[in-house]
Amino acid sequence: MRLALAFAAALFAAGATPAAAAPPVKIGYAISMTGPFAPAARTQLNAYRLWADQLAAQGGLDVGGVKRPVKFIVYDDQSDFAKAPQLYEKLITDDKVDLLLAPWGTPFHFAIVGVLEKYQFPVVGNSAASVTIRDIKPGNIWFTTSEIPDRMAAELVKFMKKENVKTVAVNTLQLPFSLEVKKFLMPDMASAGLKVVVNDDYAPDVKDMTATLTKIKAAAPDAVLSLSYPPDSIIFIKEARQLDIKSPFQLVLVGPTDYLFTKMFGANLDGIVTMGHWVPNQPKWPKAKAFYNAYMKKYGEPPDYLDSALAWMSIEVLQQAVKTAGLDKAKIRHAISTETFDTIDGPVKFKGVENVITPTMFLQFQKGRPQIVWPGSDATARFEPKPEWTK
Amino acid sequence: MTRQGWQTGLVLVAATALAAALPLALGTYSLGVALDLMMWIALAESWAMFSGLSGYVSLGHAVFYGVGAYVTVLLWQVLPLWFSVPLGGLTAAALALLLGWPCLRVRGPYFVILTLGISEFIKYAVISTEAALGRNGRLLIGTPSLTVLFEAMLALAVLSMAVLQIVRSARLGAGLLAIREDEVAAEAVGINATAVKLSAFAMSAFIPGMVGGLMILRSTYFEPMQAFSPTTSFTIVTVAILGGSDTVAGPLLGSLFLVLLSELLWTRAPEVYMIILGVLLVAFVLFVPEGLVGRAGRFLRAPKPGPSSRDHRAVVIEP
Amino acid sequence: MEEVADVSLILSPQLLAAALVLAAFYALIAIGLNLVYGAMRLLNVAHGELVMLGGYIAYWGFARWGISPLISAVFAVAAGALLGVLLYATIIRRLFRSTRMLARVEANSLLVFFGVSVVIQNVMAVAFTADQRGFSYMDGVLTIGSVRIEENRLLALAIATVACVACALFFRYARSGMAMRAIIQQREAAALVGIDVDRINIQVFALGFGLAALAGTLVSMTAQISPFMGFPFTVSAFVIIILGGLGNLLGSILGALMLAAVEVYGAALISPSFRSILVYGVFIAALLLRPQGLLGRSIAAR
Repeated sequence: MRLALAFAAALFAAGATPAAAAPPVKIGYAISMTGPFAPAARTQLNAYRLWADQLAAQGGLDVGGVKRPVKFIVYDDQSDFAKAPQLYEKLITDDKVDLLLAPWGTPFHFAIVGVLEKYQFPVVGNSAASVTIRDIKPGNIWFTTSEIPDRMAAELVKFMKKENVKTVAVNTLQLPFSLEVKKFLMPDMASAGLKVVVNDDYAPDVKDMTATLTKIKAAAPDAVLSLSYPPDSIIFIKEARQLDIKSPFQLVLVGPTDYLFTKMFGANLDGIVTMGHWVPNQPKWPKAKAFYNAYMKKYGEPPDYLDSALAWMSIEVLQQAVKTAGLDKAKIRHAISTETFDTIDGPVKFKGVENVITPTMFLQFQKGRPQIVWPGSDATARFEPKPEWTK
Repeated sequence: MTRQGWQTGLVLVAATALAAALPLALGTYSLGVALDLMMWIALAESWAMFSGLSGYVSLGHAVFYGVGAYVTVLLWQVLPLWFSVPLGGLTAAALALLLGWPCLRVRGPYFVILTLGISEFIKYAVISTEAALGRNGRLLIGTPSLTVLFEAMLALAVLSMAVLQIVRSARLGAGLLAIREDEVAAEAVGINATAVKLSAFAMSAFIPGMVGGLMILRSTYFEPMQAFSPTTSFTIVTVAILGGSDTVAGPLLGSLFLVLLSELLWTRAPEVYMIILGVLLVAFVLFVPEGLVGRAGRFLRAPKPGPSSRDHRAVVIEP
Repeated sequence: MEEVADVSLILSPQLLAAALVLAAFYALIAIGLNLVYGAMRLLNVAHGELVMLGGYIAYWGFARWGISPLISAVFAVAAGALLGVLLYATIIRRLFRSTRMLARVEANSLLVFFGVSVVIQNVMAVAFTADQRGFSYMDGVLTIGSVRIEENRLLALAIATVACVACALFFRYARSGMAMRAIIQQREAAALVGIDVDRINIQVFALGFGLAALAGTLVSMTAQISPFMGFPFTVSAFVIIILGGLGNLLGSILGALMLAAVEVYGAALISPSFRSILVYGVFIAALLLRPQGLLGRSIAAR
């Protein structure tokens, strides 16, 4: 059954409804289905596949007022950054797709920027954020996230100041996104008078953090910032609990929003702060709950509050742009860069590559559920100091 | 030997001329595939020039590719590309000299694993360096067109074949083959094994260094985990062994086979493509150990007695 | 950097415990790899995939049927051993079929196992998706003196230690264990004195693969698993068996301790960012300075 599903998905049968006479709209993307990034890319891929299902059920995609069937063309980038630009080039020039969805993760977004510029093909990015990309001012990619590292650093410092944090330990993974966050965080913390008591970096194949965490425990800072990706986030949480690190403010950058963490850690996730700006229960966002339920129904578990939500937002932006602009690239580009979009995360509007409406937020797990705890204007709950780890 | 050499040369010239005209005939995507093909040819021929002939299996050629890419990226918009890409090649060759001096004393499986280890070592050193520099991934905007990159890569592929052919028929090749047979005996008959191995190792690093430089211009994004990926090393060895690593034609056929296969299969079902690739690899080693070239050679030529291509190792050292 | 590693950190029993747990996993994985190399000169780059399979067996047992990983471990060892035997009978034996093949057995085995690892990874990805999996088993935290440790880690440490000691005893006293050592040292001579090399090879595969699968079940109790998790374990295991000496089984245990110490104490003394550089640095230095391994072959020869 599962095997059959995987095949079906791989063969892209899903989504193709031959009902209408109009030629199908070709939608392409390449994402990591095999290799080391495949596990992390799953929650985004799930959102894409959910969309394919919905389009099929609705009888197609609304293109400038006309409903047309869709055909998905999907490739596996084999977790290889060098493959991504080639695949997007193939999608554009060989498969001649009408629309593109984004690959997974910051490095892959980096990798395709050159191709998108070359062919002037607009793509709404999602699971990526980078000041470096913003600074080269590309005209064909936008990010639905509001967690661009410099903004996030500034907000995080404000957040910590408000919670009376005075001393901070930072433990950073040596990959582009986490390093970029740290790069902006350090000077911001210094100018805000936060004292950094431990500052370690580690390479991507880390297996044990005891040394750093023992130092952190001895220093007993008010805040611990684990600027990590899912595999090392797991190591951090396990070992922080094992060593009983009691800091009231503990941030784990990427990972906790993936349901895997809830399954693995249960109550121990409570009190962990993480990046993200979406929850299903924010009353301001009427579409949020519907997405949550649809995802839950298809996959039997909640979406990743970060990547699945960002991916869905990028789909909504694209879908709404196409509805008004049709399939003309220049018109789509114009629509994306000027219109305001209604998403599961509230209204979204871009300036440059950036989503300028959604504020930079932080989530915290409370009683097993992520809640928005920063900024106050959007909060669904108040920040609580990290409770004791379970014994 | 010479006649065969001339024939090979002629075929090469004709094929090169044809290949050079490919950008006129191919669309962007197909040209990209052709570029990949040239890349694997250049890498695998270079690898075969050292590892195929000497029997020292290098599982670390990704390091030369990565270093070449890194040099090109560091010098991006600092120096012109016609200078920085070859400089990447030279840096790779210099690195090979530096590494080869201690490493080439180690033999057999130790050498295999050592080269893999060194490649990983340098990968993590570059990651640390980039982190220390505060560089979080480097984007290159405005790189040369695909056609330019293809022609350059084609030149490297041809060059790598020519080098392998020349080395094979030169003293150096004879020395390498003798070392593969029996290193102690080779030294006894007056071959300076260290010098032979070192020079061949450095030569086999030069072209991969330039290949790395060109490929980073193609991908426009440098990230050390990818540029130094051990998968590159494994694929080089796979390609060379599939084709047969003794002759110029071997890596060429191996590359062609791999690229065609992946074009046929991977779009349809990625996991299944990988599974088929794995099965084929196993099947080749078990059932076609002489490689595609050996098999094709046996098939084409009337069964003639005497050494097949594989038995070059029995060749007496030529002057 | 303002902080200087202080002595109290280095002497911390917490660090020692972390190093021991890591070493126990490593040793279990490395012994199996070394057996297969030592007996047959095979470079098994698919070894980490066995760890992955063992992890999946424990995961499915626990998540689907609530079976304790300790019970699954038995199944995992059996499944690993069975896979080893099958692989040997269908593929590996053919690598020895002619002298010409034999001369290239190391390079050939590298490719064959590379192919096998790609197949196993992707079959698992097709069958069970590429999702990361994890479960919580015995995750209470114990305090022993000044060391805080999760029960599952302590348990994993205990099981791995027992398994390593059992292996050592097996090689020392059991007939087939002694035969394995004989083959590792002198293949031809072993055949001459009447040891059935083929039969022992099968046992080597069964044992080596079984140990890796066992390690996988232990790893899955303490970390998340995915179809593509194996390669780093393979690399670590190769580093260890080079440190300890190819074919030297007790050396593998020593090598595992060394690698774990370099990882944990290196991070403490220098910086975690140098972890991989240190690991590979030590490995390269060991290979260049003492290519026969730190202990040489002498212990294996006894």
